[in-house]
Amino acid sequence: MEGGTASSVTIIILLPIFLPYPATPITQLPTIRLLHTVKFPLSDQLLMESSPPSSSPSSSPSMDRVNFRTQVLSRHLHHHPQTTDLLRTAPCLNYSPPELSNPPPNFDTKSLRKLLDGTSVEEIDYIFNLMIQSTLFCPRERGGKVFIAPDFNQSMEQQREMTVKRIEYLRDRGVFEGWFDKKGPEGDLWRFALAESVSVYDHSLGIKLGVHFFLWGGAIRFMGTKRHHDKWYKPTETYEVKGCFAMTELGHGSNVRGIETITRYDASTGEFIINTPCESAQKYWIGGAGNHATHTVVFSQLEINGVNEGVHAFIAQIRDENGNICPNVRIADCGHKIGLNGVDNGRIWFDNLRIPRENLLNSVADVSPDGQYLTEIKDPDQRFAAFLAPLTSGRVTIAASSMNTTKIGLAIAIRYSLSRRAFSIKPNEPEVLLLDYPSHQRRLLPLLAKTYALSFASNYLKMIYVNRTPQTIKTVHVVSSALKAVLTWHCMRTLQECREACGGQGIKTENHVGHLKSEYDVQLTFEGDNNVLMQQISKALLAEFLAAKKRNKPIRGLGLEHLNKPAPIIPTQLTSSTLRTTQFQTDIFCLRERDLLQRFVAEVSQLQAQGESKEHIFTVTYQTAEDLGRAFSDRLILQTYLDVEATVPAGSLKSVLGLMRSMYTTIVMEEDASFLRYGYLSTNNAAVVRKEVLNLCSELRPHALSLVSSLGIPDAFLAPIAFNWVEANAWSSI
Amino acid sequence: MAPTNQVLIKESSNVRTIILNRTKQLNALSLEMISRLLEVFHAYEEDPNVKLIIMKGEGRAFCAGGDVAAVVNDINKGSWKLGANFFSKEFTLNYLMATYTKPQVSLLKGIVMGGGAGVSIHGRFRVVTDNTVFAMPETALGLFPDVGASYYLSRLPGFFGEYVGLTGARLDGAEMLACGLATHFVPLEKLSLLEDALCKANSGDPKIINSIINEFSNTNPKLKEKSQYFRLKTIDRCFSRRTVEQIISALVSYKKEKEADKNMDDWISWTIQSLKKASPTSLKISLRSIREGRLQGVGQCLIREYRMVCSVMQGEYSKDFFEGCRALLLDKDKNPKWNPSKLEFVSKDMVDRYFAALDDKDWEDLKLPARSNLPVYAISKL
Repeated sequence: MEGGTASSVTIIILLPIFLPYPATPITQLPTIRLLHTVKFPLSDQLLMESSPPSSSPSSSPSMDRVNFRTQVLSRHLHHHPQTTDLLRTAPCLNYSPPELSNPPPNFDTKSLRKLLDGTSVEEIDYIFNLMIQSTLFCPRERGGKVFIAPDFNQSMEQQREMTVKRIEYLRDRGVFEGWFDKKGPEGDLWRFALAESVSVYDHSLGIKLGVHFFLWGGAIRFMGTKRHHDKWYKPTETYEVKGCFAMTELGHGSNVRGIETITRYDASTGEFIINTPCESAQKYWIGGAGNHATHTVVFSQLEINGVNEGVHAFIAQIRDENGNICPNVRIADCGHKIGLNGVDNGRIWFDNLRIPRENLLNSVADVSPDGQYLTEIKDPDQRFAAFLAPLTSGRVTIAASSMNTTKIGLAIAIRYSLSRRAFSIKPNEPEVLLLDYPSHQRRLLPLLAKTYALSFASNYLKMIYVNRTPQTIKTVHVVSSALKAVLTWHCMRTLQECREACGGQGIKTENHVGHLKSEYDVQLTFEGDNNVLMQQISKALLAEFLAAKKRNKPIRGLGLEHLNKPAPIIPTQLTSSTLRTTQFQTDIFCLRERDLLQRFVAEVSQLQAQGESKEHIFTVTYQTAEDLGRAFSDRLILQTYLDVEATVPAGSLKSVLGLMRSMYTTIVMEEDASFLRYGYLSTNNAAVVRKEVLNLCSELRPHALSLVSSLGIPDAFLAPIAFNWVEANAWSSI
Repeated sequence: MAPTNQVLIKESSNVRTIILNRTKQLNALSLEMISRLLEVFHAYEEDPNVKLIIMKGEGRAFCAGGDVAAVVNDINKGSWKLGANFFSKEFTLNYLMATYTKPQVSLLKGIVMGGGAGVSIHGRFRVVTDNTVFAMPETALGLFPDVGASYYLSRLPGFFGEYVGLTGARLDGAEMLACGLATHFVPLEKLSLLEDALCKANSGDPKIINSIINEFSNTNPKLKEKSQYFRLKTIDRCFSRRTVEQIISALVSYKKEKEADKNMDDWISWTIQSLKKASPTSLKISLRSIREGRLQGVGQCLIREYRMVCSVMQGEYSKDFFEGCRALLLDKDKNPKWNPSKLEFVSKDMVDRYFAALDDKDWEDLKLPARSNLPVYAISKL
């Protein structure tokens, strides 16, 4: 990360030297006396480049320390009033890059990024390269750096056209070649890397591609059979066929089985007839349907010989090659949205549309030419589950791309907080860097640590998805539900905090942090409403627990093995050092999950004993279910974090990872009321926890810059306020 | 040590004209020259009497590159670490220039290649002329575009940087101006008048310097009819591909498409040929270097390139650099025998190693001097 400029600077030598961090409590700031001033050439080696070597270990730490202290000093003094002559204008604020006031990384930032992006680093960087080098991605020079971002000032229609042009540009570079051919875990990871990296540029681009390749393409691949693969793979890969995915209706979203679109079979012509029987059955929010899609997968009830066989999927053409809407299909636009206006969401009505019998996606059930319903899976519940299972990939990409968005927000807000100052603590003293206020640290640094923890969890989710087997489908379902909800909620919360932490600058679209909120808000809803997903976790845990009890065997899977052991004991008097042990952290997270599960089981069985129906019970036990869902997720996230940590050799990287883990666990204990509510923490211990958050913040403060640099988001995808915001706003730049 | 006569310095009040003076070797940079330049640049930055630096070459060329033949000679006699010392100094000089607080005007007459580009392109003003010839020919030598080229090539329009870096294509002055490697084009006959005017103005203000150079400039030199710059669309289409193999196959299928078009064939055949002649290892590490460089700052680029060049000299994975120097500079048979001999024999794993820290206890990453100044123009000039 580079940037920054300064003219010649007068350095005033001051004593005593003080450091801006670890967060010196405001009251303890030493007094500063002016001794004398000297002219200090800017080229002096005491000041370091704003793009320090990321991975070279210092050869002489003590000398570095001396240099660094001097840098800090001079950094502080850039803004010191140089004269008391009131008639002269006060010296202007110069932008000073965060790299000047922060120590070089004490760990290898490349290794840390590798823990985040794994084997996909090169794929991701390649897509970044493609986007940075094309004018289609709207490069703009601000403050001496080039940034790329969509022009959100364009009309909705223009934004949609740009999205398509960008897809065609990527296609022409061969980016999607082999989409359906690349097999195995590597193939899946490659597809994920592609989807995630385009979303770093623009959520609309990610979604438009995601709908076409993961939803339409995924439906063909997983719900279809060879006849569909042979026909649709090639034109889908080349984007000649533009696919969409018509599942949600005006009247039904998360409850897919309640949809009202109905399809019947006409044996005399060998065709299915798709119909929208009422207004609430219109297909709604169908990404791609508004302007561009030529084909769709239609989800519909299938009625054969008067019997409803449940929800099935069909392929229907909705536009011809010239983009004209097909007969017996009506399409309307969903209109302007709070975000994602580069995606053409539409509504579709089918007026007894006839499609060939072969267009039924027949992986789990088929209809013979003479109109017999054929299936291997007799139980409709199981059939439906098997049918939808492969589409979990949507949740995996949503979880992963929400982490990228979070990274963008934090990199911008933290870099800004390391170059923006506000208020002097004493008269004539320089103003204080935002991130040197403990309160500002408390706002941003826990979110940064948590983002690392959740990113590792997102990688774990990817790995269990790509290595899935029929035996692990349930785990993938539960983990993807939990993490999709937790990660997207974290994303929105972080963006809001970053927006506020950037003050007024956070409001500007070009600075991303504010605008991304509306672009990403929909994540909380699509591919399963977060609250609905969270409830499914508790149901699944309950089922596992009861099944094990019934079999009279130890519980296994979903990381629940700890339930077979005696309940962990939490020390009555917590200390700072206890709080940082993995033993304690694991114990208290397991205790919470175990206790909440037992409470949930008790609550449910009590209601069952009263003769309540299962459905009713789940609607009234939602409070415990919610707490349990969170307890499960937090314990899972801690576990994946520990697994990642275990792969790192002892050294500076491992210690900073340990610090972030303690930050993650401590902040969860501080923020989630269940720890106090159910007594896992005494009020005294809760106070110790709260105090520890402060300590952890000041210990993480020196690493803040290196930790955001390791996130791997290239400068071009960040924002002007992350770099030379003075220059970016200068009159000369207008 | 007596000052070398390989670098001459002319003083005219606050202007210092640095003249590369090793004409027989087309001013190829020796260790002696690099050391002297480092010394001088450090001194001038702190000397309030110096406001402007002019760089030029004595004789026909500006500078034909680093003196790699001498480096190879040193390595053969002693250890590759002698070579490491050379590159460490050269890259440090490149870095100093890229982050320099005072303007540097380079007068690029004749050949500007490899290391010659390194001591000019990073500066504020790059003035080209009628006979300028620029190239980064390292892949033909078993090396890769270094001296911070992964920074400046990656910032050329579209994927022109990949094209220039992988093929070693030669650019003339007009092409350099068009792609941004040069800031001004001044006709040959006006070059010495420009130099006099700059000395006379005696100013370090970039705006004043810019307007003086503009007075002598031809703002719109004509690209020659067959300029490769007109092929930008094709270059973008092919050189944006993910791997070297894909780049070549994109070029080959493009050539097939255009079989009928006689004009096209020359250039496309030449491009394919030059990729086929280059060291396969060099091509792969060069492409990756440019792609990584696009996402990095100039300091990070030089640190990475230093790792790469040390791996090249260490010769653990490939000795192509020595073979290239033998075939092109020493024996001059122009027939290097690359090993690995084909792109498909250069695995991802092998490429990865050039980007990792060296497994050698005495070796360290390049430690660049601490710099306060990364002026806006150090980034935006390209």
